[in-house]
Amino acid sequence: MDKIVAQYSRPSYQNVYSEQDQQDLTESLPPLSLKFALPPVANPSAFLRAMTDDHSNPSCPIKLAHGTTTLAFRFQGGIIVCTDSRATAGNWIASQTVKKVIPVSRLSRGEDKPTNEPTPGLLGTMAGGAADCQYWLRYLSQQCTLHEIRHKRRITVAAASKILANLTYSYKGYGLSMGTMLAGVTPQEGPALYYIDSDGTRLPGNLFCVGSGQTFAYGVLDANYRYDLTEQEALALGRRAILAAMHRDAYSGGFINLYHVKEEGWVHHGFDDMNPIFWKTKLESGEFSNVTSEL
Amino acid sequence: MDHQARETVGYSFSESTASGVKQHGFYPYTDNGGSTLGITGSDFAILAGDTRSTSGYNINSRMVPKVFKIGGDDETGEGANIVLSVVGFAADGTALKERLDTVVRMYKYQHGKPMTVSACAQRLSTILYQKRFFPYYVHAILAGLDEEGKGALYSYDPVGSYEREQCRAAGAAASLIMPFLDNQVNFKNQYIPGSGEGHALAAKKAEPLPLETVKGLVRDAFTSAVERHIEVGDNLQMVIITKDGIQEVYHPLKKD
Amino acid sequence: MAASKAIMRGPTIIKAEDDKTRQLNKNTLMAFSGEAGDTVQFAEFVQANVQLYSMRNDTELNPAAVANFVRGELARSLRSRSPYTVNLLLGGIDPTTQTPHLYWIDYLASLASVPYAAHGYAQYYCLSLLDKHHNPNIDLEQGMKLLGMCTDELKRRLPIDYKGVLVKIITKDGVKEVDFDNDKIVRSA
Repeated sequence: MDKIVAQYSRPSYQNVYSEQDQQDLTESLPPLSLKFALPPVANPSAFLRAMTDDHSNPSCPIKLAHGTTTLAFRFQGGIIVCTDSRATAGNWIASQTVKKVIPVSRLSRGEDKPTNEPTPGLLGTMAGGAADCQYWLRYLSQQCTLHEIRHKRRITVAAASKILANLTYSYKGYGLSMGTMLAGVTPQEGPALYYIDSDGTRLPGNLFCVGSGQTFAYGVLDANYRYDLTEQEALALGRRAILAAMHRDAYSGGFINLYHVKEEGWVHHGFDDMNPIFWKTKLESGEFSNVTSEL
Repeated sequence: MDHQARETVGYSFSESTASGVKQHGFYPYTDNGGSTLGITGSDFAILAGDTRSTSGYNINSRMVPKVFKIGGDDETGEGANIVLSVVGFAADGTALKERLDTVVRMYKYQHGKPMTVSACAQRLSTILYQKRFFPYYVHAILAGLDEEGKGALYSYDPVGSYEREQCRAAGAAASLIMPFLDNQVNFKNQYIPGSGEGHALAAKKAEPLPLETVKGLVRDAFTSAVERHIEVGDNLQMVIITKDGIQEVYHPLKKD
Repeated sequence: MAASKAIMRGPTIIKAEDDKTRQLNKNTLMAFSGEAGDTVQFAEFVQANVQLYSMRNDTELNPAAVANFVRGELARSLRSRSPYTVNLLLGGIDPTTQTPHLYWIDYLASLASVPYAAHGYAQYYCLSLLDKHHNPNIDLEQGMKLLGMCTDELKRRLPIDYKGVLVKIITKDGVKEVDFDNDKIVRSA
């Protein structure tokens, strides 16, 4: 009997909010301690997966926005970074206007202003969970700024990527989902490109494609990639590789977001609707011969 | 949107004192249905939502507002300049609204000035992300006027990814309303007649709409959604933010 | 038309010089992949029936007819107790119009007439490449070059060694195997 009573009763007083909780509630700034609420179950990551992983459980209640095709490659003139702009939650297109290239570091943070001047700083890309990428790249931004203040010089891409990789590794198994690339040109390294993902992988390299459309982008990119590409060729190749992925991968689409990272900083080369670009490519270069007007 | 959630309406009891040996399905969420919608103009923003609250096929209440004034007076919401709408799990929605409201008011006391919408938008994102591993089951939309006095609208996923947009529909009827908004607010798939043949046909450029037009669109969106979605109905709550303050109006919707 | 030469059983490559194609009649060739056993059984069954038709009627079936026959057989099998699990590519020259045809058929008996096609992981890498570089007017030399680009990409990105490809071409004069350089070393960026 006592057992049953114990099971369905609770102490008359339960301290619902700890002192820390109460302080967090009244504090207007987010805590620096990176403490995250966990569900009161034995296996939090299994709970999270059951609730949010639409791949293993298509009828999961919480559909998270996911990012899709992103690419970046190094060439003699710097680094090209290019992405699509579609976010999907299951089969639902949650947005067609996502900015999947995220400026990292204090100087370049904020909204893209229409300027032709290169903006100093690194660029990060977003594939996988949209919130994970946005949050942690912003966190990385803070860390880069702190580095800049402490050391009186801009952080190297190697160091920045290591901060992010250590971070994702420390949350390994919790269910983060991100595949990101960091691109930047620094005096110490020259053009540098790193791939970091939520498993804790961190790789330097010349060329990466990340996301569900990665294979399609690789197909186009690998065939025409050379290190000594001119700037115009490199921009066109980046744009064409994303177009290929948008055409073949249903989870990719929307607008082509193109960036060029140079020594002086990054330059934005447009956020352009894919549809007119597709038809221009098809009609002027005779590509996409699988698309025909006959039925 | 989700059927599994409705069929397995779960009730969670606090863990027995005899240390949780058995872990029955822990399901702390339910979907309370409903839909929300936000549209901005050059000097205003509108957030709207229906007031129906459901669980499964039951209608719990016909008057549970989903749009809240943030950072204003406790009772009346007076003095607020930011508005939040939440749809999904109502309890999480209330918790989120309370949290953001506290934060925005603390900010005002500590800094002696109201929080800007862009700052509030970023803060809401971190609040949502604090529960990344035990998410708030909500789709939030935040609206207000930016530093230039233009309408500002931010939409969120349950764990805090956000984006500033011209318009956004969320909740049960998002898939019914959003395509309508794409066409009527952003003029997607609208072309200028006679501007060319085939691919040369010029697309109609999106531009901010006047307040009266937007009010009309919001009402049309909801009356139409009510016709085709069981979880939407009863009343339409419309909150209009202009430089003169926040105005809240209710319109009846079908009660079936 | 190209098919890998390796036959794998679990972790082992048991044959490295396999021919995963069958010639159905004078001017149609079929490449196949899928469940072990099913593939050859089905291909040879189809081959026999197409040849039987040719003998009985003293005429060659055109590729469209063969493709639809194959699809029909696959659809029938799909609704039987033990369906064939085979994915097919069927290429041929129409003997009357002299035009080339390519059909993509999967184990669920979907049939699509396409200008270029691939099955399995290859399609994820090759289709975007073909989207860019293919056009209907290319000659054999350009076609072989395009095939080379595809195999290069597969060598670069596929984590398995498929032991090269066997290449056959179909012309109005019939089907013939052609030499293909499988030993080229491809360097990754």
